[in-house]
Amino acid sequence: MPPKPSARARLALKALALALSGLACTAAAQSNISEDDLALAYGDKTTISIATGHAQTLNRAPAVATVITAEDIAAMGATDLDEVLETVPGLHVSRSSVRYAATYLIRGIGGGTQTNSQVLLLQNGVPTTTMFGGDKGSAWRGTAVENIARIEVIRGPGSALYGADAYAGVINIVTKTANAAPGTELGLRAGSFGARDAWVQHGGKAGGADIAAFLRVGGTDGLRETIAADAQTRNDRLFGTRASFAPGPVNAGYDAIDGSLTASYGNWRANGAYKLRDRLGTGAGVSSALVAGSLGRAEVFTGDLGWSDLNFGENWGLGFNLSHLQYNFTYPENLMLLPPGTRLASGSFPDGLIGGPNQWERQTRLSAFANYAGFAGHALRFGLGHDDLDLYRTRTMKNYFLNAAGAPVPTGPVIDYSDIQPFIRPQRRKIDYLYAQDEWSLARDWTLTAGLRHDSYSDFGGTTNPRLALVWEAAHDLTAKLLYGTAFRAPSFNEQYGINPVSNGNPGLKPETVRTLEAALAWRLRPEAHVSLSVFRYAMQNLIRIVANPAPAPGATFQNTGGQNGYGTELEGTWDVARNLRLSGHYAYQHSADETTGRDAGYTPRHHLYARADWRFGDGWLLGGQANRVAGRQRGPGDARAPVPDYTTVDVILRSPASRKGWSVAASVRNLFDATVLEPSLAPGLLLPDDLPMAPRTFWLQLGHRL
Amino acid sequence: MTYKLFVACLVWGATALALAHTGPVPHRVATTFAHVDAWSTAAVAGIVQSIENDEGSPPAQWPIFLVENALSVRGAVRLAYVGGDGALGASGIAVLFPDIGEPYRAVFNKIIEGIEDKTKARVASFPVGIDADPAEIGAELRKQDIRVVIALGKHGLKAAVSLDPKIEVVAGAVLAVGEAEAKNNTVVSLAPDPTLLFARLKAMQPETRRVTVVYDPAQSDWLIRLARAAAKTHGVELNALAAGDLKAALRQYRDFFAGCGKNDALWLPQDSTTVEDSAVLPLVLKESWDRGIPLFSSSVAHVRRGVLFSLYPNNVELGRLLAHSALGYLGNGSRPAKGMLPLRDVMAAVNTRTASHLGINLRQQSFDLFLPEP
Repeated sequence: MPPKPSARARLALKALALALSGLACTAAAQSNISEDDLALAYGDKTTISIATGHAQTLNRAPAVATVITAEDIAAMGATDLDEVLETVPGLHVSRSSVRYAATYLIRGIGGGTQTNSQVLLLQNGVPTTTMFGGDKGSAWRGTAVENIARIEVIRGPGSALYGADAYAGVINIVTKTANAAPGTELGLRAGSFGARDAWVQHGGKAGGADIAAFLRVGGTDGLRETIAADAQTRNDRLFGTRASFAPGPVNAGYDAIDGSLTASYGNWRANGAYKLRDRLGTGAGVSSALVAGSLGRAEVFTGDLGWSDLNFGENWGLGFNLSHLQYNFTYPENLMLLPPGTRLASGSFPDGLIGGPNQWERQTRLSAFANYAGFAGHALRFGLGHDDLDLYRTRTMKNYFLNAAGAPVPTGPVIDYSDIQPFIRPQRRKIDYLYAQDEWSLARDWTLTAGLRHDSYSDFGGTTNPRLALVWEAAHDLTAKLLYGTAFRAPSFNEQYGINPVSNGNPGLKPETVRTLEAALAWRLRPEAHVSLSVFRYAMQNLIRIVANPAPAPGATFQNTGGQNGYGTELEGTWDVARNLRLSGHYAYQHSADETTGRDAGYTPRHHLYARADWRFGDGWLLGGQANRVAGRQRGPGDARAPVPDYTTVDVILRSPASRKGWSVAASVRNLFDATVLEPSLAPGLLLPDDLPMAPRTFWLQLGHRL
Repeated sequence: MTYKLFVACLVWGATALALAHTGPVPHRVATTFAHVDAWSTAAVAGIVQSIENDEGSPPAQWPIFLVENALSVRGAVRLAYVGGDGALGASGIAVLFPDIGEPYRAVFNKIIEGIEDKTKARVASFPVGIDADPAEIGAELRKQDIRVVIALGKHGLKAAVSLDPKIEVVAGAVLAVGEAEAKNNTVVSLAPDPTLLFARLKAMQPETRRVTVVYDPAQSDWLIRLARAAAKTHGVELNALAAGDLKAALRQYRDFFAGCGKNDALWLPQDSTTVEDSAVLPLVLKESWDRGIPLFSSSVAHVRRGVLFSLYPNNVELGRLLAHSALGYLGNGSRPAKGMLPLRDVMAAVNTRTASHLGINLRQQSFDLFLPEP
């Protein structure tokens, strides 16, 4: 039975109803001026937003891709990146029990771990990957969407262009330039669970340069859904203690600051950005046990400088980019792994089992490219680069010592173990790479794109990855693509050098690899209706997994072992039913199985169905609704629990246009029917016997002002 | 949480105030009302006073937003303008534009940005509602000592032509106007100049010898006259086929495709009779593709759907051009030339897929917009 709405929820409902009625009154009062001339000259909203945005480049490689614009984001009522990505065909956003971090599962790949290292996340083309975990790190919780101009998602392998971790897919976030967000905008939003955000965005000119600036301050107390039993519940049962905080709420709150400054001058562009996630809750616990406090702090400083001239001489285009990233992840008050009163076979921890893994990374990346179009029928692209990725400092604070079997032995108060038994020692990796791509017009309407990239790693050696794409423009309304590529995921520093007897690092690891074959059709049924279909098959090899050490040695170590095979299809469509009504949606199916056992790989949905309607009325009002169904999530290996329950959520959004004074209002209800949404806990379910509860029905209300 | 929210609000408000005081943004708001009852007059006067005192900080504007909307329901609000500092109206130029929502509001904002860039001063901008009172606008313009009005959109022009004839009118962001309006005013159309379209076509497809266009004389006669001259300049024959309704237009297109050859091209003007989305566009897109005929359009939205290329307004430059005409009059009293002018401040969009199909090498061309997106 669904829980009764709390007083806070009822208050939020009333506020929302009041806001909506106010909005409706304003809508009724808006003038209704028709400017057919403008429609004939400029077209619809999508065309205008593109045509008034920044000039684009012509460099792109064939792929199965989804592009989400700022207009799409506004129409779906998303307030953070994860909500946007859930709408991409073949991509499901799940959650790790650790800090409730988002994990992006693409085409059945990526489940069953606490990290998300099989997807490459780029910001303005620069990787965001942190080296310790090999994924985006902890600073991407609650990523604001207000300064995102577009999100490009490539499903399938991309290592031939992007290198490591462009494995299941590539997500590129393109932030707004001065042209995309001219003037000054302010926003304020409040929502369920104490969610609050305030931001200011400015686009303008300074001394001939285009300047775009963004500052956001916000955060949330986080959802408070209950974890019925956790890892400590099991310990309590085994050792007769009552230490567990379960049943108790998850800790999913955080404070956020995001700031960025972009300057463009001629062919030059410079970016500087700061990202802070402070007071990061531990989710369902770093050791799958609910704890109090233990708040994490993630900081990212990025800066990059780029120059490009796509018309450098008659047939040449040239460019380079230099970027730097500093990532700090710390626990200012240490990390509680198990709560006070914990007793284990190896000893008692009256103050709790306390750790404090802190890390500091810096990364410098330099890349350059050249385009050449001097050979008839060929468009060539060459590139090279050098990355210097340095986990230059680590600090380990804890009150225990891990014995050879990996069991924690109490050692008294918390002290600095950085020299005695750190969780990892500083590590550094250097990469040199080069690539070439040729887009060859074989015959009229036939194009073959062939690309090859070689990466040379200072630790595990070299890897070479090809990409082939045959594109046939079969008719004015039909395009067919056949794509093949390989990709790799580089082992993370934790997998190579982590110090923990139950998951020891292995310097001899090789990258995980994947080979993918895809076919895609894009069909424009009518000028206003578009359908696309893709089918794929992949084979993963050299998976990096934790394997028990050969007897009689205790513990376990990361090893390359086994593989996973999968296939599936994605069908998506968009239909502009009328100038003011758009319907869109997709259905994605995938089946992924362990190479050896043939069992479903688990965690990821076999079926993903999504539908959205955007209705514009009055002078720029938007009423949108979307439904999202996630179904067919099997358990991971060795997990006998029943499959993860399916769910369907429905969200609605209402947005006003800017008033003549520049004010606008928006309100949304997410998970309108209060569906129970669960994401799977890791197999076999011993530590967290129940799945991870996600947000119930939530609300937000937003006020915007354009100066 | 409350504390943090408060801090966030503080940052937000402080930033807003800082920007309002330092940036080149309007920060004085005045509102003119007609037919307002005593209660609302008093209420609004108080709020306007508070805004004047508060220099437009967002928290102070929030009440007026609510009151304004409440009054709007009563049909009381007629006209509002947003200006800045003492420069308001000091340029002697005002802009009348339709009080219309997004996405077109952004278009007008860009044009006004170009106007202000050229005048180097803030101009008084009046969003004109559907029930705007010309007498009220006229009174406000006189008060501001406005001598030239830049009228944008059909609605802006309609309001402008009803003003005192002593006020000069320069119009833009309209496709075509009636003869009387064209005779008495300078009107820069949204229709791209045919000579620019043909130049672009010849650069992409030099072998083109004949350009066919199906047009409704009632809508596009003026443009076709220009197109004939432009065709001569570029060494192509203009095959202009008149059609008074959709049925006739479809017949003309079918006849064209039945007899077209490799040196032909087809042009889609901004003509609501002969260029229509559900019947004409699918036909011309399919036939042009199958026969390898370059199909180009005066509407940029068609490029997304498969038309080879289009020219579309450079809104900022259009604003500068309109301001240039207005400043010329203010500077030396020279009245700008009357009549319809085609759009010459344009940007170019191309469909890469169609270009590839036609064997056109885009590397040797310069475009502002490449469609379709990946």
